[in-house]
Amino acid sequence: MNGVQTGKSDFLRSVRCKNPGQKEFIQAVSEVIGSVWEIYLENSVFRDADILHRLVEPERIIIFRVPWKDDQGRPKINRGFRVQFSSVLGPYKGGLRFRAGVDLSILKFLGFEQIFKNALTTLPLGAGKGGSDFDPKGRSDGEVMRFCQSFMTELQRHIGIRTDIPAGDIGVGAREIGYLYGQYKRLKNQFTGTITGKSLNWGGSLMRPEATGYGVVYFTEEIMKTCCISIEGKTVLVSGSGNVAQHTVKKINELGGKVVTMSDSSGYIYDPDGIRGEKWDFIMDLKNVRRGRIYEYAEAFGCRYVEGKGPWDIPCDVAIPCATQNEIHARHARP
Amino acid sequence: MTKQAFLDEVAARNPNQPEFLQAVKEVVECVWETYEENPIFQDANILGRLVEPERVITFRVPWVGDDDEIMVNRGYRVEFNSAIGPYKGGLRFHPSVNLSILKFLGFEQIFKNALTTLPMGGGKGGSDFDAKGKSDGEIMRFCQSFMTELQRHIGNRTDIPAGDIGVGAREIGYLFGQYKRIRNEFTGILTGKGLNWGGSLIRPEATGFGVVYFTNEMLKAAGESLEGKKVAISGFGNVAWGAATKVNDLGGKVVTLSGPDGYIYDPDGIREEKINYMLMLRATCNDIIEPYVREFPEAKFFAKKRPWEQKVDIALPCATQNELGKEDAENLVKNDCKCIVEGANMPLTPEAMKIIQDAKILYAPGKAANAGGVATSGLEMSQNYAGQSWEREKVDGELRKIMIRIHEQCELHGRIDDDYVDYVRGANIAGFMKVARAMVEQGVV
Repeated sequence: MNGVQTGKSDFLRSVRCKNPGQKEFIQAVSEVIGSVWEIYLENSVFRDADILHRLVEPERIIIFRVPWKDDQGRPKINRGFRVQFSSVLGPYKGGLRFRAGVDLSILKFLGFEQIFKNALTTLPLGAGKGGSDFDPKGRSDGEVMRFCQSFMTELQRHIGIRTDIPAGDIGVGAREIGYLYGQYKRLKNQFTGTITGKSLNWGGSLMRPEATGYGVVYFTEEIMKTCCISIEGKTVLVSGSGNVAQHTVKKINELGGKVVTMSDSSGYIYDPDGIRGEKWDFIMDLKNVRRGRIYEYAEAFGCRYVEGKGPWDIPCDVAIPCATQNEIHARHARP
Repeated sequence: MTKQAFLDEVAARNPNQPEFLQAVKEVVECVWETYEENPIFQDANILGRLVEPERVITFRVPWVGDDDEIMVNRGYRVEFNSAIGPYKGGLRFHPSVNLSILKFLGFEQIFKNALTTLPMGGGKGGSDFDAKGKSDGEIMRFCQSFMTELQRHIGNRTDIPAGDIGVGAREIGYLFGQYKRIRNEFTGILTGKGLNWGGSLIRPEATGFGVVYFTNEMLKAAGESLEGKKVAISGFGNVAWGAATKVNDLGGKVVTLSGPDGYIYDPDGIREEKINYMLMLRATCNDIIEPYVREFPEAKFFAKKRPWEQKVDIALPCATQNELGKEDAENLVKNDCKCIVEGANMPLTPEAMKIIQDAKILYAPGKAANAGGVATSGLEMSQNYAGQSWEREKVDGELRKIMIRIHEQCELHGRIDDDYVDYVRGANIAGFMKVARAMVEQGVV
């Protein structure tokens, strides 16, 4: 139990043993431990306080039943989660993900990473993550609303403006945030900022939709500067076609780069002329309004669509994965 | 949807939870026919909702050991179903505790509590904390840290935990103290409390008393009675003690008790001062039964054997799981035993159960027969709500009425023909029907 005597591999073994079947979480812990172990050993004050053992154990996890009715009147059951991982730097903060396959391992992995990411922002933010195995894909507006209302009916008990402030993630965009917030307000009778990613008219911040994508490109620019190069004229692969990917593409276009791929969970499109101008507008409409599939882009502009794969075989200068976990494999990375 | 498709779906949603899946399978096997006969249940997707806990809370429990070492354990509370009352079920502190085991126990608790006829939902909780070798101070600090988080989720009308393995009178005391300190409220948020501060009389004996009341009802339904019957009891813990006392009250004769070292046979009957001696023996904590024959030489000790080889009318296994196997069952059948009632949880092996059921001997499973324990927890709640402390006779009388009602329900749903009641089937269906109806009536929540 004590971190003082155990070595790195003993520590990781104990984490594996305590969290059987949680592949993604263990991967995330291994990665962080690999980076910080030396510092941990050098600081006896951390070891004496058994910091790592406490850090890998979420402060609180809530798992709950989410019953709702589909358009045919059939009762459906999903599982809702909120992982409140660490509140040492501020209230729990992290997105909600609605997607088939969401499980505790994935949310613990994301929540664990969120601890360090939020700490890096220099803002007072703790870390959390949540969501459900509900998939909004193919669901009507009414179904999504009823699901969100049922989900929030339980979640409201556990969150709060100074306690835990969720945000969006995969499957949770402006529409879902709206439904979730509306139900929260109805139950609590309080208009407080308990969720971020809200619409501009009711408490949202300007630039929130663009922020992640723009940030990624600004960071890329800084990396390239250290090697005395720039994005200007470079060929860029982007995966995903959600919020992050959309604004990554937009900012790269502004800085003179050329994005040749985007993807969704079915496959990717390859447009050697670059995804820009009206083509970018098409993506925005396709994904945010019509909620269609990426192959429609290939049909509209006559470019290549590759099903069931990510874009990483295409030659490029810069690759920016904006879709999901474990999307680039060793074979993609090798020269 | 077919039964198999349903079970496959549950398995896919709950990987790495073998104990939970086993429990679901057992219940589904029993109630599927009833489920299909009631389209109102299917339309409301009752089974799909029933196998998903309403809420599960997992939390970090940090505490400091006597040598200033910092320890981290994991705490759980599975709030499984509140259709018929606030969540209710024990806390288990043991290194083997994980989500699968607690979901299994919580799931079973739903039906067991429903069967008591009291308004109690199903829950279970605990921690992987190992009390072995820990000092009193360490146990107290762990309990305080555990309750510091748990207090947020429980309440006397919300969720009322109790003890289980590793959580006895001492731990309940520490947990209750910390709850009260944080909330500044003296309410019955735990059962199994000390008599001086909200506990109920008869709680220790309740399971054993209930087993015997239930046995008496079974015999009555078959046109017999306990009067003058020879009874074999195994174990010599709380359940065996309560059962032996009540068999004597109702005019039967207890002839055996057992420990891990073997069993004793007392042809004169184990009564009065002999029962008191059994309590003394237990208090020595040696966990052996042999000294009984030195005190009462008319009795005989059989080393490393089980009492089921004796010729008796009634067998009450009150010791532990799987204590009555194939050979024991064959002996009981051969000796013309009339009635076998489980005081312990799952004391019969599956083979033994099959032999007993094939022989059409009266047989009742623990989930019905030993529900007197949790029922008396329910009575403790009633006393706390009312701000009262009932006398022995009142608690005992209520317990007896509850056991009679449990038996009525089992008979209602389990009577196969004029001569035979299948109590396993009866208990499973009765519990399920009650919860399922409540869920239909309360809508999709």
